[in-house]
Amino acid sequence: MNLLTNNFFRQLVSRAIRTDYLENLTGFAWLVLQPLLLLAVYAFVFTTIFKARVPDSGTIGFVPFLAVAFWPWTAFSEGILRSANAVSANSALIGKVSFASELLPLSTVTATFLMHMAGYVAVLIVLTLMGTPLHPWGVLASIPVLIFMYLLSAGLSLFASSLQVFVRDIGQILPPFMTFWFFTTPILYSVSLLPEPWSKLMSLNPITWYVEHLRNFLLFGNFELGPIDLAVPVFSILVFWGSLKFFRRLSRHFEDFL
Amino acid sequence: MRPLVRLEGVSKFYPRVHKPGERLRAFASILAGREPQSGAQVLDDISLEIHPGQSFGIIGENGAGKSTLLKVLTGVISPSKGTVEVNARVAALLELGAGFQPDFSGIDNVKMKASLLGMSSRQLDGKMDEILAFADIGDYVHEPVKHYSSGMVVRLGFAVVAASAPELLITDEVLAVGDESFQKKCIRWIETFLENGNTLLMVSHSMFLVQKLCRKALWVHEGKARKMGDVFAVTQSYLAYHEEKSGSEKRLRDSQKGADGLYQVKEFRVVGDMDSDELVIGHGEDLSAELILYSPDGRPPVALVGVMRADGTPVYGVASDFDGISPIAVDKQHFRYHIRFRALQLLPGNYTIRGHAMDPEGMRLCDTTEIRFSVSGQSREMGFIHLPHDWNGEG
Repeated sequence: MNLLTNNFFRQLVSRAIRTDYLENLTGFAWLVLQPLLLLAVYAFVFTTIFKARVPDSGTIGFVPFLAVAFWPWTAFSEGILRSANAVSANSALIGKVSFASELLPLSTVTATFLMHMAGYVAVLIVLTLMGTPLHPWGVLASIPVLIFMYLLSAGLSLFASSLQVFVRDIGQILPPFMTFWFFTTPILYSVSLLPEPWSKLMSLNPITWYVEHLRNFLLFGNFELGPIDLAVPVFSILVFWGSLKFFRRLSRHFEDFL
Repeated sequence: MRPLVRLEGVSKFYPRVHKPGERLRAFASILAGREPQSGAQVLDDISLEIHPGQSFGIIGENGAGKSTLLKVLTGVISPSKGTVEVNARVAALLELGAGFQPDFSGIDNVKMKASLLGMSSRQLDGKMDEILAFADIGDYVHEPVKHYSSGMVVRLGFAVVAASAPELLITDEVLAVGDESFQKKCIRWIETFLENGNTLLMVSHSMFLVQKLCRKALWVHEGKARKMGDVFAVTQSYLAYHEEKSGSEKRLRDSQKGADGLYQVKEFRVVGDMDSDELVIGHGEDLSAELILYSPDGRPPVALVGVMRADGTPVYGVASDFDGISPIAVDKQHFRYHIRFRALQLLPGNYTIRGHAMDPEGMRLCDTTEIRFSVSGQSREMGFIHLPHDWNGEG
């Protein structure tokens, strides 16, 4: 099944965008304004109150350092949180119509990513205007990084949303888990700030690889890659593939449990 | 010819999932790749084949498993046992709402539903006017569906399904919600649809509709296929079952009276074809019955013969003394009556014929025996008796 040509999938994505993002907003303007306001809040809190500094970052200030990692993380985490109940929220549809139900979480993740990527672009433009030079090749190189990150988010969404049908507690466990994941990922800080055993441990977190490479590509113009850098993209693909299998095995029984 | 639909030995269990422990156990067995084999059994070993052009009706009591069967057929749920094979472009209209999202406008839901039925946006653009004209709900299409009446939801749902040009249309009891003129419109549409060689699979409680639209039928009873075959045979047995169900109480009451044993029915038999222990008389054939009555005092008792429907509704009754008939004496205490109803005008269905012994004055009912029989034949006439008639002075 080709997602891009599937009319039903497009309908689901556009429906999700309209209900979740555009319904109560006066238009597209808010879509860009909202993330920028959020960035302003973070900039104020971390540079003025906490006096956060980024070590070894040369001329890069804390705000660009944070912004470049924060938006992809938000897309990743919100994608999972929003789609976790995508199956049970659509129980009426599942009980009446036969369709590929994996489209439900996939459309939610896709809509979330599309919206946050629009915000990301806006943030990157504002950063450039404010005097943080972004590397043009870095912008290009970060596209595949973001696509792999989307795949990982989609995979975990498939896993969580199908498991949630059988184990309702997933809805309660996920938010604190994602908060824990956020703070154990070097988004608000740099790995180099951590003492030895912890920085090693942190490299096992796939999101660490994503945020570090986005920063390297966009801010530092550092394009060094080794064979080890294949690990996380391959891992993301495997998670997506395995989760899709898992979802399809369970989806035949959704109606019995909803 | 390849069947449109083939079901083989389909059973469905709904696993027990109310307690968290049961839920986890059922989940674990699914993860291990096993189908749940216990729980509430809704379908039990159902097999059927539907061929192109052979429209199929599914009938049965509430809770018999009809809707579950449709869900299995449309692929909404998978059977616990057995196989399902569908070789057609299917459009299904199950239950009210048909998968509509209440917060979205009619137009948005039409787009969603059409995409679910496999239409591309370009195909839909070409058909949108047709859909809106068929649904005929005016400016309401721009309102959220939650503000619709149930009839309007069905109108819109049916309009989309009609536009998707299916080969097999599966409907649950949904048309009943529409008003008279919309129902007629749908039935006209279905008739054209059938004339074009397509196939309908419907669940309905309206035997009239099932007989009108379907050629074959399946009666589902407690999850099992109780009877399957020609639509008339199946609907007649189903109706007879209901008549008997509501009549059994009344018969019990009746059998308690008239037990005054002076004059007795010694023998009562009906002449007819025996078809698997069931007495069958063809519509329009003669119904003959013979009564042998016993009289302790040698005076000939009066015979009363009555016919009633399986639910106990009297159809006709006549006593020998009404017609001034005397019996043939078999011996001093036994008397024989023979009665023949010529060219029986009862419509197909189940009936009971009763023979009674009355006292010689024809005042008191003394003994009763009854025989059940059914009238066979194919007829779409309604009621239980054929009234001779002609139309426009012909005939």
